[in-house]
Amino acid sequence: MAIDCEDQELLDGFLAETTELLEKLDDDLISLEKSPEDADLMNRIFRSIHTVKGASSFLGFDMLVKVTHKTEDVLNRLRKVELTLTPEIMDVILEAVDLVKTLVADIKGGDIIERDLEGTIAKLIPFLSENAVEATVLAPVFAPKEEKEAAAPAAPAEPAASQQAEEAAAAPAEPQGAKAEPKAQPAASQQVAPAPQPKPQPVKEPQKAPAKGGGEDLADNSTVRVDVKRLDDLMNQVGELVLERNRMIQLHSDYQTGLNPAEFGDDFGKLSKRLNFVTSELQMQVLKMRMLPVEKVFKKFPRIVRNLARDLGKEVDLIIYGEETELDRSVVDEIGDPLIHLIRNALDHGLETPDQRLAAGKDRTGTVVLSAAHEGNQIVISIKDDGRGIDPDKIARKAVDKGLVTDDQVAAMGTREILDLIFLPGFSTKEQTTDLSGRGVGMDVVRTNIRKLNGIIEIKNELGRGSEFILKLPLTLAIIQSLLVEVEKEVYSIPLASVIETMRVSKKEFHMIGGQEVLKLRDSVLPLLRLQQTFGCHEVYTDRDTCYVVIVGVAEKRIGLIVTRLLGQQEVAIKSLGKFLSNLPGIGGSTIMGDGRVALIVDPIGLVGGGAA
Amino acid sequence: METALTKVKSEEYGGELIQLVSFNLEKEEYGINVLMVREIIRMLNITRVPNTPHYVEGVINLRGKVIPIINLRKKFDLMDAEYDKRTRIMVMEVVGELMGFIVDEVSEVIRISEKEIQPPPPVVSSGIEQECMAGVINQADRLLVLLDLEKMFTADERRLFSNVA
Repeated sequence: MAIDCEDQELLDGFLAETTELLEKLDDDLISLEKSPEDADLMNRIFRSIHTVKGASSFLGFDMLVKVTHKTEDVLNRLRKVELTLTPEIMDVILEAVDLVKTLVADIKGGDIIERDLEGTIAKLIPFLSENAVEATVLAPVFAPKEEKEAAAPAAPAEPAASQQAEEAAAAPAEPQGAKAEPKAQPAASQQVAPAPQPKPQPVKEPQKAPAKGGGEDLADNSTVRVDVKRLDDLMNQVGELVLERNRMIQLHSDYQTGLNPAEFGDDFGKLSKRLNFVTSELQMQVLKMRMLPVEKVFKKFPRIVRNLARDLGKEVDLIIYGEETELDRSVVDEIGDPLIHLIRNALDHGLETPDQRLAAGKDRTGTVVLSAAHEGNQIVISIKDDGRGIDPDKIARKAVDKGLVTDDQVAAMGTREILDLIFLPGFSTKEQTTDLSGRGVGMDVVRTNIRKLNGIIEIKNELGRGSEFILKLPLTLAIIQSLLVEVEKEVYSIPLASVIETMRVSKKEFHMIGGQEVLKLRDSVLPLLRLQQTFGCHEVYTDRDTCYVVIVGVAEKRIGLIVTRLLGQQEVAIKSLGKFLSNLPGIGGSTIMGDGRVALIVDPIGLVGGGAA
Repeated sequence: METALTKVKSEEYGGELIQLVSFNLEKEEYGINVLMVREIIRMLNITRVPNTPHYVEGVINLRGKVIPIINLRKKFDLMDAEYDKRTRIMVMEVVGELMGFIVDEVSEVIRISEKEIQPPPPVVSSGIEQECMAGVINQADRLLVLLDLEKMFTADERRLFSNVA
């Protein structure tokens, strides 16, 4: 059924407002569960749903009205303390909110799909009767048949919870488009489907994936709200730029009419300084406008953690720091997925069950700390748990068992290399795969995603005390800080985000191990790569016995690139090489230097060796 | 491609007129539909790109856009020649992408009737040149090879370009 709403503007307004309300709702609901007596919070939630209901009834979205109406009634009873909030009620409310989101997504997608509302509504109804406490026991009577046992509150909503965990965990991982796609299997019917259903309809167009991580399926990153002040600042800067341009034109005509060259030189010098200043400012402004607080990604985690914890039978406190930290949209879109994997990992593999924790002399409740902060030109996101930590021996054994590495290889590895094994595709330390971990999603996905962003992953681990995954990501992807290097008279640019250090070494210090050139660096052995050979550069210098080594890190790997000399640091704008030259090994793109020549940007990911470890 | 623009109905010939840019490679004359050609520029500094097929000379900065440059001599397995002052880069749009082609010399724009285009002669040698030869134009004093750049790259080569892992 197509949407019949003559006023597009009204509809857009409704969608924008509803989306915003719903985004916040999840977060609020989780907080509410923690502090049920917070009347302000309660009222806010009630008002949100009420607003959605009002607006949808105004626009005639009947299905939406039905669901929100019942949800509102339940919330109203909670608000009046006629009902006490239990995890079961929360499950149902969350489910209803999910349904609302699906419906809104349908509207957004431009096509209203008939969805099965009864299942969810039937779960709400028991909480509406006067004696709601008993009603929970009676619930199955109200529940339509197709709900199966899943909805029976008698078994305190365990299956339902897991179902939701599935939902919540799976939903953000799939492209936004998926649910809005009218063809996608109706999510509502999924919600009442038997619990083992692994996740909503597999994504039909995986290549459309980049638009994820915006939080659930409603978040829309295709439009931005920009602070008017920022827009004004931008306008000012553009004004400045125009002035400088006029100055330049003036200067040029002065020069042509015979200005004395010394004076011209002076003026030109001043002008370039001004121009430099204005453009840097402008760049900053534009960058700022593209910035989004990482909160956009973080805010969906409380819910995911809640559902996961319930599903896994663990008690977890999620602490979030630095959610106001801003980063570029391009990065925000990409980090959602890896973070979900890491959080899921922390809960599933990292934290022990409450009993195990008590036995280990810890609090029943585990803590997961998710934090974000700026560090120079990078954003550092850390996921830290106080669980059992990662046992390197176990990892090594598992990797050998799975045939990913040989015993000999393991013997030659340091602790760090062993920890890195968890990034191999198909690796899982859990003896028994749960619904959540057994979906073939693993740390290799995380690694791939982080690599795509030119980021670095570090693992800090303390056996028995917990582990910490630290992601270091560049702030933006469009303009990067880079290190210009010369390789036999050719200039290459290496993204600074992946450069760890540079050093000047004598060629005599290189060693050969099994056909691989290496360098002893402090206490580790660093594999080396001669860029001259990799890129087949014509050798120009034959008599030099010193060279420079640029140590790059991609995800968890380190490698030393041998270059002729370092030219310096520069901010470069990334230009694509077009589709004919995309995917060249080791080349990530190109940039144009001050003199108009093209310099190629080294892609450390390609050099380090892609997914194959 | 809005071929309608060039296809001027001509009553004399009874066929449609096509404008071709003619250029030289190793003393042979080639023609290419003028609509494919975006611009013709002199040689610039070309940045070599590693790990590309031998005929990819590198990339250039075309007013802020980085485009790949293909050496047609190398592509057609002709003798390598020094660039001189007549060497030109023809910037063309091939399957939606801008690319530059290095040719020995660009001579003129000619108008021909579609009727003048003869099918390419049966394969003498199975060179790459054959692949993108759309036809031969036999005029009184000269012979032009009409190129179809869309056929320039075989499916294999396209895969190579987009799937080098």
